[in-house]
Amino acid sequence: MSFWGYVRSDDSVGTRNHVLVIPQGIIAKSVCDFVAGTKTILTVDHGSGRTANDREQIARVLTGLGRNPNVASVIVHAASPGVGYPELRAERLADEIAAGGKRVELLDPAKDGGTYGAITKGIQLARRMVYEASTLRREKVEDAHLCIGVKCGYSDTTSGIAGNPAVGYLYDKIVAGGGTALFGETTEIIGAEQALVGRAATPEVAGKLLRAVTVQEDRAKATGLDIRTVNPVPSNIKGGISSLEEKSLGAIHKAGSAPVQGVLQYAERPPRKGLYFVDNWMGHLSIFAGYAAAGANVVLFQLGGGGVTGRTLLEGSPSVVAPFLWATANPLTYAAAADSIDFYSGTVIEGSETPEEAGERLYRTVIDIASGTMTRSETLHYTDPIDMYLQEPRF
Amino acid sequence: MQPKRAIMMHPQDNVATALEEIGAGENVAVPLADGSLALTAAEAIPFGFKIAVQEIPQGEIIRKYGETIGRASSAIAKGAMVHIHNLEGTRARGDLGTGGRR
Repeated sequence: MSFWGYVRSDDSVGTRNHVLVIPQGIIAKSVCDFVAGTKTILTVDHGSGRTANDREQIARVLTGLGRNPNVASVIVHAASPGVGYPELRAERLADEIAAGGKRVELLDPAKDGGTYGAITKGIQLARRMVYEASTLRREKVEDAHLCIGVKCGYSDTTSGIAGNPAVGYLYDKIVAGGGTALFGETTEIIGAEQALVGRAATPEVAGKLLRAVTVQEDRAKATGLDIRTVNPVPSNIKGGISSLEEKSLGAIHKAGSAPVQGVLQYAERPPRKGLYFVDNWMGHLSIFAGYAAAGANVVLFQLGGGGVTGRTLLEGSPSVVAPFLWATANPLTYAAAADSIDFYSGTVIEGSETPEEAGERLYRTVIDIASGTMTRSETLHYTDPIDMYLQEPRF
Repeated sequence: MQPKRAIMMHPQDNVATALEEIGAGENVAVPLADGSLALTAAEAIPFGFKIAVQEIPQGEIIRKYGETIGRASSAIAKGAMVHIHNLEGTRARGDLGTGGRR
């Protein structure tokens, strides 16, 4: 199978065609408010007072979003409070993005007439860049150019029975088609790690998976808390999930059945195609930015929702450059928020479809969205700030 | 009246998941590879919650997806709801003093 995408100079393929302005701040926001077809990010974390490792992580997120195939070209400005650190200098970020082969422009208030001058120059540049981007046409390409990231959230028992198995079918299909599929949420594989270890492509990958789980479980134990007061989260418990192990065993269904090729850090680009585990944290404002920075051109939130049936409007995407789908298998969630939901697999529970049939329908939905159909969240202007997964103390 | 539906994710499981709202005293049918297991709900089991398909003694492992999801913190009767009041997870438990600060 194939989809219609924007072929970039490095042969990656975009499902969207944004001009990205980074990092966050008044210059980026002003340019994006003024110029159609542009995107920026929202985040409070600009690196100030962060350790070298965390600054490198921030740089990886920013350059990764810039290199994402959904981005046609990029403007980097030098007005961020973190820009004084070597890792976060605008020139460095711009060079790393440009190394991927796309157009990158730099704005420096010190040279461009201050903040006002940089905004003016940015608007002029961005108008030309979005025009230039609009001249590119979608082409028919193989599924091997899909790179998808998933999380399951507000999980309930419908997630494990129907929602995640449908996603698992999609994942197997994308991997079989030569594409790339990312899953993660280290806390939510505790109790299910043996099943994943058995699918590790090499003993080294098995060791990395187990180490990621051990580190996370030791952190949990070191708090002295009963993990059940933290995770499963209250909405999981209201949705019928009784323990972290039960949540994990349901959660790993979304990864399908392909071999796990590697364990990646947050925002790390997969070295090859195939299925990868990402050692990340479940928060949706965090995880999708990490997937997009790793190169995901589509991301998917598999929603349980049993505990939060009052939600009738599911708000927008924190993933910035990757179209963001909502899927659910919970009939109550779907009934409450149907116009926010891109895909429904409660049919499996109702008995009208098998998980495979639902998975095939999900695959076609993803192909449509990759080819340009809007996701429900793309029909809203609303986006949430991203919460980069930084793990070291601040000073 | 049609029995209510619940599903076992694996033949070795000792719980099934309610596929619809089940009232106390209602009959429940759990499809198996060879036929169907008949249960009577000992109490109301909300949609998506678990029902014991056999008696589960205190301390016994509770299995779903063919894997361990915890152990019974009290004896569970066949047909009773299985949730946080009678199932406790065993992983990442800092409160059990294995590596945690008590």
